[in-house]
Amino acid sequence: MKGLLRLLSGLFATFAFSWVGLALIPNFQIGHLNPQSDEEGTDVYPLPQSGMAERGRHIYSVNGCFYCHSQQLRPDYAASDLDRTRDHKKDDKWGVRRSAPRDYIFDRPVLLGKARTGPDLANVGKSAPAEAESPSPPGASPAGSASPSPAQSAPAASPAGSVSPAPAVASASPSATPTAAPNPQAAASPAATALAAETKSGEPTPYSAAWHHQHLYSPRSIDQDSNMPAYRFLYEKHRISGEHSLDALTLTGSDAPGEGWEIIPTYDAKCLVAFLMSRDQSHPLKEVKSATAAASPPAGPSPAAKGPAK
Amino acid sequence: MDSADIPLKAPAISADVPPSDVEQVERALIDASTRVPVLMFYTSAIVWLLIGTLLAGFVSFKLHSPDLLSNVAFLTWGRVRPAHMNIMVYGWASMAGMGTAIWLMARLCRTVLRRPLLLVTGAGFWNFGVLLGTGAILAGDSTGYQWLEFPPYAALILFIAYCLIISWAVLMFRFRRGDQIYITQWYLIGAFLWFPWLYAAAQLMLFVVPLQGVLQAAVTWWYGNNLLFLWFGAIGLGTAYYMIPKVIGRPVYSYHLATIGFWTYAFFSSWTGMARLVDGPFPAWMITASIAATILTIIPVATVGLNHHMTMLGYFQLLRYSPTLRFTVFGAMSYTVFSALGVLISLRSMARYLDFAQANVAYSHLGLYAFFSMIIFGSMYYIVPRLVGREWRYATLIKLHFWASVYGIGLMTLMLLAGGLVQGLDMENASLPFIESTQSLMPYFRGRSLAGVLMTVSHFIFAFHFGLMLFGLGRTASVPTFLNPVEEEGSEEHL
Repeated sequence: MKGLLRLLSGLFATFAFSWVGLALIPNFQIGHLNPQSDEEGTDVYPLPQSGMAERGRHIYSVNGCFYCHSQQLRPDYAASDLDRTRDHKKDDKWGVRRSAPRDYIFDRPVLLGKARTGPDLANVGKSAPAEAESPSPPGASPAGSASPSPAQSAPAASPAGSVSPAPAVASASPSATPTAAPNPQAAASPAATALAAETKSGEPTPYSAAWHHQHLYSPRSIDQDSNMPAYRFLYEKHRISGEHSLDALTLTGSDAPGEGWEIIPTYDAKCLVAFLMSRDQSHPLKEVKSATAAASPPAGPSPAAKGPAK
Repeated sequence: MDSADIPLKAPAISADVPPSDVEQVERALIDASTRVPVLMFYTSAIVWLLIGTLLAGFVSFKLHSPDLLSNVAFLTWGRVRPAHMNIMVYGWASMAGMGTAIWLMARLCRTVLRRPLLLVTGAGFWNFGVLLGTGAILAGDSTGYQWLEFPPYAALILFIAYCLIISWAVLMFRFRRGDQIYITQWYLIGAFLWFPWLYAAAQLMLFVVPLQGVLQAAVTWWYGNNLLFLWFGAIGLGTAYYMIPKVIGRPVYSYHLATIGFWTYAFFSSWTGMARLVDGPFPAWMITASIAATILTIIPVATVGLNHHMTMLGYFQLLRYSPTLRFTVFGAMSYTVFSALGVLISLRSMARYLDFAQANVAYSHLGLYAFFSMIIFGSMYYIVPRLVGREWRYATLIKLHFWASVYGIGLMTLMLLAGGLVQGLDMENASLPFIESTQSLMPYFRGRSLAGVLMTVSHFIFAFHFGLMLFGLGRTASVPTFLNPVEEEGSEEHL
């Protein structure tokens, strides 16, 4: 009987030890982080997400997107994550700094991911063209901006677009974006060229809302080598009655729904895209060294620069 | 399932047993008392195994043919994959493991199984929990935490089922005879106590009082790795410690080594969780501690491996005859390979390439299939004849099962490791477009699907053979079914 008691206490001790070590102590250390802000209490990061983006997180997780797409970037000494660029935009990096615990404080479920059968998405919202990011009216949360206006509706949104767009050219050095953004006169031309590029080729600008929708609906129309499954069950086929819907996807070839029909994203699809477009860890964190942090010293006085900060 | 419904006869006990063979009779009685619950666990497990295997094949094919049935929401890859994983983890592996553990405990406590109804109800609830959870995943209600995708309501049912099952184990231990606690019992008691703590702790920290941000991921992997090691690993190793000495009829080489192996295993393997998140957004000490613990698991692996090897020494030719021994030894050897791979992929220099590559899938399949499932198959080949009183009908089917499984898991591991390495190297080379890394995987994915076909064949063969046994169509013979005709005198009494 003595042997049994010793066995049981040993079993309990080993288990409790690992629980204390890997759950309890870390919880003391990083379990109660707050968003960071500057001295005036502005420029708060991270902020809770809008309802649509949160619902999008649900759609993302229940459909298992995280089994193939990670949302975490390792530091530059550990891997070349920070050197990677998105395939469609050669100057657009996966991220400018490593991910840190503070980036995830509002995330539930947290979707770090353990495989990259598809590219990392930690900053995919950052890759969106400038005009798709901007048209959130003051007070609206950032993610709301993505959903109601896929790029087709950009003309309608363009008045708002001129308020505070981050110029598309700034994506060459993403950390500089916050400083460059409040520059209203720089706004018009990049937005216009991005729009022109889209209408000219008939394909949406990469990483715009319309692009995400087309990618989700028909991944191989974007990249024929992709092995991502299509998520057509998130879209509905409608007969066109009267005018074209502003939300309708522009599809060509075999994906096209046929004369007199159009493909409309469901609310879930819009939420999913809103979630994707809210993925952005580019805001500097005090505890993490940004790759190009030294290049943007006056980041302080521009609190309202980034969309999500407003 | 009613015991009367199973057209089986109780294990034959001839009346003219010499008094010295009291032990023989006692064993037969114990075996008979475990018949209904253990067979119920086994039958459910094998049904889940078949479903899980079919889903696995589907998942594997979709990776290189993504348009296969992709327009139906509940058949999308991202839902079928967690359904497959959870069915294998909770449906197949847990139920089969519990079945074997129940039988082993009864044998080792040398007591007849009391209140089998408790276990039967437990198994029923467990099946219901798995069914509900799988349905929820397919319907789009998974939680988004790997290995814990079952929504809390399904998890609660599993937990209730588990409480019914564990209360039986306590009961059995209470009535055990003899003060000796054999090595197998350490592992089994460990598994039976660790699992509820683990499951409850993970559920509490994720759903009841959710931890903040990345700590959820830490808990998820702490849970996942501990489930692999402290639940499946412990049952698997415990079973191997019983089956190998039993079949060859020779005591374990060293009790002392076994003690070292057990406690170092419990101590180090429970700390390995964070090695799956190397250089993720966590304090570096957590990850480093886990990597160190992973490296230190070499100690239990070496002691356990050495112990089994020394026990087997001189008896390796029995692998030619005994199905149990063959499966068990393969599983025990895979434990070494699995742990070595675990050490390798957790090292920072390797994790750089393999962290997000398919090698991780190879790792979990090595653990759950090549190590755990093969040992459990072995134990089933030993236990089922003792429950139904018949011997396995066809040696050929056992051989086919073994080789199809071995080639299947071997090919799969090879494909995922080689593919993962190529993928990882491509991913780490930032000058290559990302799509190249996925493209380079495609031939390996196809090879893996081929492996999946082999394993599907093997599982259906096994299920068919098991079905024959269940319906009383096994051989009536006094000698066990050997894989090959026994040539030598003197080896059969051990088998």
